[in-house]
Amino acid sequence: MPQTTAQDDPALRARFERDVLPMLPSLYGAAMRLTRNPTDAEDLVQETYLRAFRGFAGFQEGTNLKAWLYRILTNSYINTYRKKQREPQTVEGPDDLDEWYLFDRLGAQNVEGSAEDEVLQRIPDEDVKRALESLPENFRIPVLLADVEGFSYKEIAEIMDSPIGTVMSRLHRGRKALERALWETAKERGLVDG
Amino acid sequence: MVDCGPECEETLRRIEAFLDHELEPELRSKIEAHLSGCGPCTDRASFQQHLKDLVGSKCTEAQLPAGLQERLGQLISSAEPPGTGLPAP
Repeated sequence: MPQTTAQDDPALRARFERDVLPMLPSLYGAAMRLTRNPTDAEDLVQETYLRAFRGFAGFQEGTNLKAWLYRILTNSYINTYRKKQREPQTVEGPDDLDEWYLFDRLGAQNVEGSAEDEVLQRIPDEDVKRALESLPENFRIPVLLADVEGFSYKEIAEIMDSPIGTVMSRLHRGRKALERALWETAKERGLVDG
Repeated sequence: MVDCGPECEETLRRIEAFLDHELEPELRSKIEAHLSGCGPCTDRASFQQHLKDLVGSKCTEAQLPAGLQERLGQLISSAEPPGTGLPAP
């Protein structure tokens, strides 16, 4: 029996438009953090939607649509844009994992109360984005998936096709690397005395 | 590092999994119980939570490029027939 595809099944096409198109804002945001520029982000989103559309008949309704889409997005990024952007595939994070890097430094600023959090809040959105984008890809992807998209460890493991232990370790190292990047940003912005 | 004992050490070692809602209920309760009585660990936990929230709230895109939604719609409606496309994973 020939497989039904979204192209020739109006109901499937309607379901795609109903369920998948509304995810565009979050997919585009993730594509921006991955590719780091609007032109590539739009290309990546288009490729993701095209692949998703062609494979939509194989998607089992009721299972995790968002994770399925992010898996397509991540794979498309890795297969196409990483090569194009010539990003090193594996980069190690900081070796000395200073567990409370940012907390300790902000805490040493001699400001009262919950000022650590206030300093963070004063960092402009664009700088927080740049800090995340500065992370090597194998750390950036898990941090993006966990903290921006809200995926569980298990979902991230499926999206990235990695064991959960690897996800947890990269997420941890990614967050620590992000703390360093945020500290540098806060210094450059004059929000802290470095 | 907080140096008030092995409970603090365990709490801080598991704090990320705790904040990510990835701990088994039993461990989760244990960490919660410790946090309710330990100021230094609570400060660190809340700082870590703020960091998570910061990334979550500041790293999204408020606006889509003009016309992207329409371009996607056109792309989908003119998608090539099956068999010629790229497979989904």
